Amino acid sequence: MRLFENINIDFMGKRTYFYFVSGFILLIGLLSILIKGLEFGIDFKGGSEVAIQFEKPVDISYLRNVVNKIGLGEVEVKTFGGSTGVLIRTTLQEIPKNVLPVVKSRIEKIINDNFPNIEKQELESTSNSITYSFSNDSTAEAVANKLFENGFTSTKTSEEISKTGIVVKLGISDWIKDNLSEKIKENKFNVLKEDKVGPKVGGELKRDAVIAIILSLIVIMIYLAFRFKFAFALGAVIALFHDVLITLGVFVVLYGVIPGFNLEISISVVAAFLTLVGYSINDTVIVFDRVREQIKIHKTIPLEENMNLAINKTLSRTLITVFTTLLTIIVLLIFGGDVLRGFAFALLIGMITGTYSSVFVASAFVLEYANRTNSKVTF
Amino acid sequence: MKELRFRLILVLVFVGLSLYLLYPTLQDYLNSKEVSKDLTKIEKEIKAKNPTIPANKLKDIITSKKDSILSNHPDYRDAREKRIKLGLDLQGGMYLVMEVNTAKLLEKLAKDPDQIFMGILKEAEAESKISDENVVTILARKMKEKNIRMSRYFGSIREDDDRIIQKLQEQETDAVTRAIEIIRNRVDQYGVSEPSIQKQGSRRIVVELPGIAREEEARRLLQGRALLEFKLVKDASFAIPIMNRIDEILAGKIKDSTSSQKEATAKKDTSKQKNQTEEQFAKDHPFFAIARLIDPQGRIADAYVKETDKAKLNELLQREDIKQVIPDNVEFIFDAKPVVGPDGVNFYRLYMVNKEPELTGGVITDARAEIDQATGSPEVTMQMNADGAREWSRITGANIDKRCAIVLDGVVYSAPTIINKIPTGSSRITGSANMDEAKLLEIVLKAGALPAPVDILEERTVGPSLGQDSISQGINSALFGYLLVAIFMIFYYKTAGSFADFALFTTILLILGVLAGFKGTLTLPGIAGIVLTMGMAVDANVIIFERIREELKTGKTIKAAVDMGFKNSYSAIIDSNITTFFTGIILYQFGSGPIQGFALTLMIGIVTSLFSQLIIVRLLMDFMNLKGYKINVG
Repeated sequence: MRLFENINIDFMGKRTYFYFVSGFILLIGLLSILIKGLEFGIDFKGGSEVAIQFEKPVDISYLRNVVNKIGLGEVEVKTFGGSTGVLIRTTLQEIPKNVLPVVKSRIEKIINDNFPNIEKQELESTSNSITYSFSNDSTAEAVANKLFENGFTSTKTSEEISKTGIVVKLGISDWIKDNLSEKIKENKFNVLKEDKVGPKVGGELKRDAVIAIILSLIVIMIYLAFRFKFAFALGAVIALFHDVLITLGVFVVLYGVIPGFNLEISISVVAAFLTLVGYSINDTVIVFDRVREQIKIHKTIPLEENMNLAINKTLSRTLITVFTTLLTIIVLLIFGGDVLRGFAFALLIGMITGTYSSVFVASAFVLEYANRTNSKVTF
Repeated sequence: MKELRFRLILVLVFVGLSLYLLYPTLQDYLNSKEVSKDLTKIEKEIKAKNPTIPANKLKDIITSKKDSILSNHPDYRDAREKRIKLGLDLQGGMYLVMEVNTAKLLEKLAKDPDQIFMGILKEAEAESKISDENVVTILARKMKEKNIRMSRYFGSIREDDDRIIQKLQEQETDAVTRAIEIIRNRVDQYGVSEPSIQKQGSRRIVVELPGIAREEEARRLLQGRALLEFKLVKDASFAIPIMNRIDEILAGKIKDSTSSQKEATAKKDTSKQKNQTEEQFAKDHPFFAIARLIDPQGRIADAYVKETDKAKLNELLQREDIKQVIPDNVEFIFDAKPVVGPDGVNFYRLYMVNKEPELTGGVITDARAEIDQATGSPEVTMQMNADGAREWSRITGANIDKRCAIVLDGVVYSAPTIINKIPTGSSRITGSANMDEAKLLEIVLKAGALPAPVDILEERTVGPSLGQDSISQGINSALFGYLLVAIFMIFYYKTAGSFADFALFTTILLILGVLAGFKGTLTLPGIAGIVLTMGMAVDANVIIFERIREELKTGKTIKAAVDMGFKNSYSAIIDSNITTFFTGIILYQFGSGPIQGFALTLMIGIVTSLFSQLIIVRLLMDFMNLKGYKINVG
């Protein structure tokens, strides 16, 4: 079977139309980035996230209601996986000051309920831990264990010779879990995953992500400049920029539009960006390789025609490869689960724009460049 | 045929090697099925004991139990070690990034921190959160701005600022080393399989604990400060009679215990294959068969216990009838590090010590590993504060010729003999086998004195059940991906397409083989990388097949068309793959954990798919041409 035999489309002649198409999509993307802003995941923003799975299906709006009453401000609650899974996320790093007394009274209630008339002394209280001291070693141990059973991360300080102190850590997700198990007693849950990212790490990751993407563009440009002409390298990298920006734009435009589809910028989405940079350059390289060959064979034909020939001749390959790759990406999108969904979606968009841009951005740029500078592109 | 032979051998060697490297993974999978059967009993037991346990939690506990059996049981361990390593996202587990809190350390180190100092320190700490500069440097700069000399709080009067800053930075590095040792020690005791504890940059520690079901417990393990204690080791004259008594109870010589009787007969059954004397010894002396006395004459009561017997011994010591014969004021504790015995078996030394420590590590002010000038052998010197020195003088005076164990978080790092009374607290510990051992002891001693406060910067936990789900999602995606691509290729390129499919299958085999061989880690994004590779890998063949079709159209023979098709495609294929490979390298540098797994399979995928698509497909086509079969390129 041959699908794309003997086609002869004047791609380059129609390039100006596609400038408008690209420009229009880019504009919408950029405008929404400016207006809506980029929605980062906790990888970059920092915060706490916990995915839990209940035994029985839960009513998400009821759960949202419960979680919002904990006093942690805006907490995101959404489904995770099936109808029993829930993802709870907050950008808070530590329990807010006004909630601290509530947490503290809960801890003290556990202590008093289980150890009536116990003598205790509060040594230190910060936003993420409370240190208590008890009359003796074994009491301290027993209290620490009891609190631990109740979901608080508590340990003996065990630094001093006396060993009577315990530290109770106050974590956001611990507090959420504690509240949920208190308020939803009839439906038990299990923690599927739990992530906490400090603000420092988030900031560093953001910087690293930008560096990684720019570095990969530079490396690709250097390699292509070495293998082709500089104009080709520049055209290819501009096309890559175009792909990344459009994909980013699509993410922002569609964020929150499709239910159950989490389109925020996470580490795996950045990984997808890097991958699409690596893959969408493939199409460009293959077209350029053919252009180079055409120029060598048909020295007298104008560049525009040579380019059209090259694009038409590689069209079959380009579309078939994109097709097989899209097949696997769609499989990932459907079967890969929640973790891979954003990743696969970024690749899906990127792969389509990548193919498009190899013709209408990368090749068109080289042609424009040659026309403007009146230089004959040779190898 | 001759011209094909070399390539054929090459392909067979690589495929054979991959299969060989993947065999343990298959073995491990079969083992895991076997273990699962046994675990259903345990599952029922847990359910009976705790009927309200959530189904998922139970699943988590069972999964991690299975994990620990597979990685510790001698029959399964080998396959487990050699199988493809699974990332935390597939196996479940905990990933932590910790950083030494320098501000807290400086506060501890400062001679007499007053309000001014604390103020500056707080500012420096706040500033360090948003800048790359180190707290020590920021603090020094701020002190300079305020015209305060560093020596007011650190070091001695005569030292200048630069010297003190340098010393403080050394202290910081020390703290990281200490924190790592403390964490490693605890993780070792907890028995996590294949833990990874690594230093990242100058102040960070990355900890990976696979297969943890109760993450709260693991977190607890890593927090809390280290406890260093000095405990007197019991004399043989005291310890051996007690050990004898334990041995007698276990052997069932004292008739009051029926359970020990069972134990003894059970032992007989399992050791049938061993030679008669050993079997007899194990029956007569069940305790000493596990804990072998180091000194046959019984001058010291230390014993060696096989690594695999540690859990069994601890279980025995917990038995009510055994507990009764062990005095309340003593306990058995192990060495922190094993000794490697003959045939590579790890042995841990077992000590009987006083439960109550003579002294805790808070009194130590400094410790240093150095080479003794006179003998040239490594030793560790240790200083104490006044209170500690007074106590130490009394303890050492009263216990000359006895041994004193240095215990960190419940395990022994060294048990030197007290040679004479030490009046000033300044002590020398000799007998370290090498400088590394002495250095470790220095770290341990300091751990008691100086805390190594760490903050958790990043913490990611994946429950085992989510990991299991991810594995099946990954496998499903891979299967469907392969089928779709394979069917399309046959449909579109006929015979040639089936060659590409065969090459694609080999590619996957090779990727997995390389992963197993180089101990790479497979993560969920890594599986995604493989699935994606399937889509992209056929690219090379698509380019070639399209070229062959073009060449055929110009009227060439199929042989010439194949030759030209391959020849004209190389440059495009190589160029496009190299650029992708570059981004793979950058991705590997940028990412952590799961993402690195993706970058890894991506890069391996590129190399192996080029091998299969260029060499195997070519080989098949050349073979067909040679035999005169027709190749249908669709």
